[in-house]
Amino acid sequence: MRRRPHHLRPHPRAPHPRAPRRRGPRRRVVLALCLALLGTATACGSGDEESTTLHVLASSELRDMEPLLADLRRDTGVDLDMEYKATVDAGDGLRPGAYHHDLAWLSSDRYFQLRLKESRSTAKPLSTTTMLSPVVVGVKPETARALRARAKGGQVSWADIADAAAAGSVRFGMADPKRTNSGLSALVGVATAAAGTGSALRAKDISCDRLRGFRTGQKLTADSSADLREQYIAHQDRLDALITYESELLSLNAGGKLHEKLEIIYPKDGMVLSDYPLLLLDPAKRKAYDKVVNWLKSASTQKKIMERTLRRPLGADVRRDPRLRADIGNALYFPDQRAVVDQLVEDYGDPRLPTARHVIFLLDFSTSMRGARVASLRAAFAGLSGADTSATGKFVRFYQGERVTVMRFGGRVLAERDVTVGGRRDLDSVKSFVAADDFDNSTAIWSALDHAYGKASGIARDHPGQPISIVLMTDGENTSGITRQEFERRYAARAETVRGVPTFPLRFGEADTAELTRAARTTGGRMVDAGARSLPEAFKEIRGC
Amino acid sequence: MTAERSNAEEPRLSIRGPSRRLPLRGRALRSLVTALAFPVAGLLALTAGGHLLLPFDGVTTLEGKIASKSEFFEDEKVQRILMKHGIRVHITRMGSRDIATTGFDGYDFAFPSGQPAADMIKNDRKRKNAYAKGHSAFVSPIVLATYREYAETLRDNGLARPRQGMAADEKSPLYYTLNMKRFIGLSAGGKKWSDIGIEKHRTTNGNRILAQTSNICEANHAGTYLGLVAFVENGNSVPTDNAAADRVARMIKPTLVSQGLPSEQMFKTYEVPEGKGLAPIVVVYEHQYFAYQIRQRQQTGKPDSQRVLLYPSTQFLTEPEYIALTPKGDRLGELLASDEQLQRRAMELGFRVLDSSGKATSTELYRFLEDQGIPAPASAADDTKATLPSLPLLERMITSVGDCPPPNRTPETAS
Repeated sequence: MRRRPHHLRPHPRAPHPRAPRRRGPRRRVVLALCLALLGTATACGSGDEESTTLHVLASSELRDMEPLLADLRRDTGVDLDMEYKATVDAGDGLRPGAYHHDLAWLSSDRYFQLRLKESRSTAKPLSTTTMLSPVVVGVKPETARALRARAKGGQVSWADIADAAAAGSVRFGMADPKRTNSGLSALVGVATAAAGTGSALRAKDISCDRLRGFRTGQKLTADSSADLREQYIAHQDRLDALITYESELLSLNAGGKLHEKLEIIYPKDGMVLSDYPLLLLDPAKRKAYDKVVNWLKSASTQKKIMERTLRRPLGADVRRDPRLRADIGNALYFPDQRAVVDQLVEDYGDPRLPTARHVIFLLDFSTSMRGARVASLRAAFAGLSGADTSATGKFVRFYQGERVTVMRFGGRVLAERDVTVGGRRDLDSVKSFVAADDFDNSTAIWSALDHAYGKASGIARDHPGQPISIVLMTDGENTSGITRQEFERRYAARAETVRGVPTFPLRFGEADTAELTRAARTTGGRMVDAGARSLPEAFKEIRGC
Repeated sequence: MTAERSNAEEPRLSIRGPSRRLPLRGRALRSLVTALAFPVAGLLALTAGGHLLLPFDGVTTLEGKIASKSEFFEDEKVQRILMKHGIRVHITRMGSRDIATTGFDGYDFAFPSGQPAADMIKNDRKRKNAYAKGHSAFVSPIVLATYREYAETLRDNGLARPRQGMAADEKSPLYYTLNMKRFIGLSAGGKKWSDIGIEKHRTTNGNRILAQTSNICEANHAGTYLGLVAFVENGNSVPTDNAAADRVARMIKPTLVSQGLPSEQMFKTYEVPEGKGLAPIVVVYEHQYFAYQIRQRQQTGKPDSQRVLLYPSTQFLTEPEYIALTPKGDRLGELLASDEQLQRRAMELGFRVLDSSGKATSTELYRFLEDQGIPAPASAADDTKATLPSLPLLERMITSVGDCPPPNRTPETAS
């Protein structure tokens, strides 16, 4: 060194943030030497820094990175001033183009990307993945054994979890999908599995809500993953499972506060991965951003991250902790339309509110139903009661707390029964009701439907706000009772809340397609042709609508 | 970045902190130690290396917008060769189409991964009467990188067959030829991996069969794959008018968008130990796969036999073009195209380099792979060569399939 290097200058106390920081020629030589000869930018970093503070909008999950930030400061001179928010909130707070921070560091920027895509005009910030963790299910050992015993090939899927939740045997905690990334990831995962297309969810895949059964198992919610962990510790004896990041579950297991450790289930039908991107919101901070990114991606930092947070490191260079060697399974495709995600979250609703719907099944017991047709109807109900072991069957089955009214009709309503699903006995009661053999010689479709609306009117009065729907299964034409026109006149005269109850006709045998379609359209429902496929399939299709 | 700190600032800075007794404390002291230690280490390394690499003056930093070819400039040997020529490269990474559709202010060069984006850039520069000079150095075909279980499942179903090659191993071939027509057909039919027997290979996957790409609106490999699929679906011919382009775009859209929100840097995802679950089939460039295998061979002594390559029966060779946006940037372009060391290194990183007549061949690359103990694939002359539609038509299809936002070019200052 012939000339005094810049490093000897005392460090300026407060660098002008807008002043371009450009390297003088001599400093460039030092860096060039470092880079060219030693090949590691970090080794040279410590001599070159100017201290910079970057304001970071961060997901609250990243609080556990706090101790590493001191190392970052020491090694690079960059100080991250973290402002923590629950992720989806942060994603919401991140209005494309209207930023108030230098960087954003999120558990996932998928929701932000959807907003960005929608804004159509804003440049995409530079983004770098910093670590990985899948959202999976932690289950108490006994529950895990039971789940595995029932699952095909011992590999548990989201469908198995939903099935057990609907049956009341899995009570789980999960953070609020509206506010947290872990909750949203879990919800997208379970909804994608429920749709069963193997593709990213589209609007039509979620037009009916198949997650009611799953949701009844959720007994604990929280506004952040950290809060979820604390709540789980406090209420662990009343819960069987916890849906959150793999890293959180491993940390909980290592933390010594659990009465029973949680076994991690990587659902067979897939998971949603969080990749903790660091986004550069203010392009003027590029130089400091580069330093932070290089530091984060270095093998030594990745190793520290893994040891401290139990998130998975990037690349294969860092030898994984034995707990992080499990096969995480397949990543599910994430929807690429914001409207789909928003609809999904809205349908799932507030996890604190009760979820149960009231469904009125209006079943044609005219003589033409005798034989194979009624057998098919009985099979459909057995399927909904838990006998259907297909993935969709597990999602759409009757669930804890669901209110069911079954009505048999011929020339008039022959019998009706109200059941609130609690246990086996309630499901048996439904089963014995459809097992009856009192077929009638005539079919009064519209009188029966009018009767069902009378019932709905009573429910709406006694339980305001309760969602109600009617399923009308018939195999023939109307032969007695009132006309469709008369039904429509009476329907129109009912209270607004009752008019909001949709009817889903299942057309079977000789039933009149045009008439039933019209009834569906009038009431806001949809007709399903059970002739085109089996009756049980038709029942499954309109579950949750 | 060549603007230098104004000299007027220096005296002011040197008299800062008058209240301190000793100017060398804390950070400043550490800086001194580092400043002394590293050049010394550096000089030792120099002598050990036997030749002086560095001109001590005039290292130029070039600002570049690069897509997947940033991997080339991240290579230490490449950096060293460039440093010998007094060049350092500062990379801003983005997708090729983004390179072309965002502003060029402050950049010395753009290096998109394929011809469509290069043409967009050159057209735009020409319209604005701005500096642009193109250089070609190497090429690489579009391929599908996957895992043994997936390739074998496709083979079970008659969609893939091992590709003959020097030292090819019938039982565990690294290379397969994929029947593109049938592969697209399966995907378009909404078939899932679980529908075609992936379980037989002790793997579960209920996802729809498709090859994942990055964002079609941003990445060259994604746009090129779209072009490839369109070519196959259009009966091995290129759509030549708007009506045909629109029809083909409508036809292929469902398959291409089923993957939902795309992720960036697919090859990085493919490489990680969890890659089989995250990115079981990804559209990449051949050079990325070879670079990975060469690294594997160096680190473990043998190539990774679980990660394998599917060569589409309809092939497309991508031709990345380096475009200098300033005369300064042109020097690097010249080097890329002519410097033997850089060319050699490009080959060692898996690229097919251009020979003296400017023709790309795989001969040299495949010989190098053999030398490295990595079986080379046979160059199959019977593969169909796909052609991309004209730029306006390709753009039309990309924006329609990807629902892409309009270009976001900031107003350019005259340069």
